[in-house]
Amino acid sequence: MNERSHGASFEEMALPLFDALYNYARWLTGNLTEAEDLVQETYLKGLKGFGSFTPGTNFRAWMYRILRNTFLTSRTGLRAVPPISIDEEPELLEHMTDEETPEWHLLQRSSGEALRRAIEGLSLPFREVLLLCDVEEMSYKEIAETLSIPVGTVTSRLMRARQKVRNALRGMK
Amino acid sequence: MSVHLTAEDVERFADGEAEERTIEQHLPECSRCATAVLAVMQMKRAIHEDVPRYSAPAALRARVMQATPTRTTASWWLAAAAIIAIAVASAVLVRSRNAAMHELVDLHTTLLASANPVDVISTDRHTVKPWFEGRVPFAVPIPDLSATPFRLIGGRVVFWRRQPGAYLLLGKAAHRVSLFIFPDDVVPRSIAAPREVTLEVWRSNGLAYVVVADIPPADLAPLRKAFGAPI
Repeated sequence: MNERSHGASFEEMALPLFDALYNYARWLTGNLTEAEDLVQETYLKGLKGFGSFTPGTNFRAWMYRILRNTFLTSRTGLRAVPPISIDEEPELLEHMTDEETPEWHLLQRSSGEALRRAIEGLSLPFREVLLLCDVEEMSYKEIAETLSIPVGTVTSRLMRARQKVRNALRGMK
Repeated sequence: MSVHLTAEDVERFADGEAEERTIEQHLPECSRCATAVLAVMQMKRAIHEDVPRYSAPAALRARVMQATPTRTTASWWLAAAAIIAIAVASAVLVRSRNAAMHELVDLHTTLLASANPVDVISTDRHTVKPWFEGRVPFAVPIPDLSATPFRLIGGRVVFWRRQPGAYLLLGKAAHRVSLFIFPDDVVPRSIAAPREVTLEVWRSNGLAYVVVADIPPADLAPLRKAFGAPI
């Protein structure tokens, strides 16, 4: 069944997300062929499971969740998941600076290429939260829904992801 | 004195997730927190604008469309995709205007609170103007301000939206005023007006001027006129 009696069809809702889902798949897998397979499988699973989607809830988050869950059960995905919970790492955050910091200059002068490498170097939980927020421009609530984590965890992961990107850019100088 | 923002507040505000008025009120008066917000906003912008986006190959799209048979025509969903793309682009544009505005206000606050807000300190425009030569990719026009209530304090180079620009620090009685000058195309055509400070934009001879100050907009008229703002 690919159409809900009281809403839009799967195709009407899912096809406009095609490029964004492919982009996310490329960033998750880091590989062209795997990304293509992942997107194709996501659409097939989405079509099959569309009957369980509740109209009025967030369809975009639902599709991203399917893609992500499919990725996590793939060979690359299984390798990408950290063995311990990253949210419990006793990691100290850098204090906010009191004065003018060289950070503006650091970022303004870093190339897109350096930024790409810094993001690619992040472990999966940090990479995906940053991409969903800054590339896909999802709200915290939507990210929380997509990743099945609390909103508070979205905030703290984002904070740490950005700190890690900054540190990586500093290391490249 | 208001309390500093927590590190999480900084992230939430930069991400447009914090609605609290207390944060908006705190930022213009605290360079430490404004600097932290600015750093996050600049990273967001850099990631959004400079990190590559991969487009789906046409063959994959065709394969998936075939695998998800549709009763609607291809032209229908292309139109739907276009409508959604326009809606998303408009939302992104509005958000990026707001972010751009916040960045400049934060830059203004940060510079004013800094121990060294300017790199060249001089009230003489004949000293400040040549200092910018070779540092920014345009000639910085600095008119004679003696007939206005404004005075030149100094200048420095700033980076905004990844472009170098000229920053002039001006004084008007006890107030300090930031004037940012960038090539015309660097500054978005419309910038949302902030509530906490005065922010005005004008364009003249291929350059865009953005002034940020804590004085009423009407008091900026002589400055606009001196810097060639269209009447």
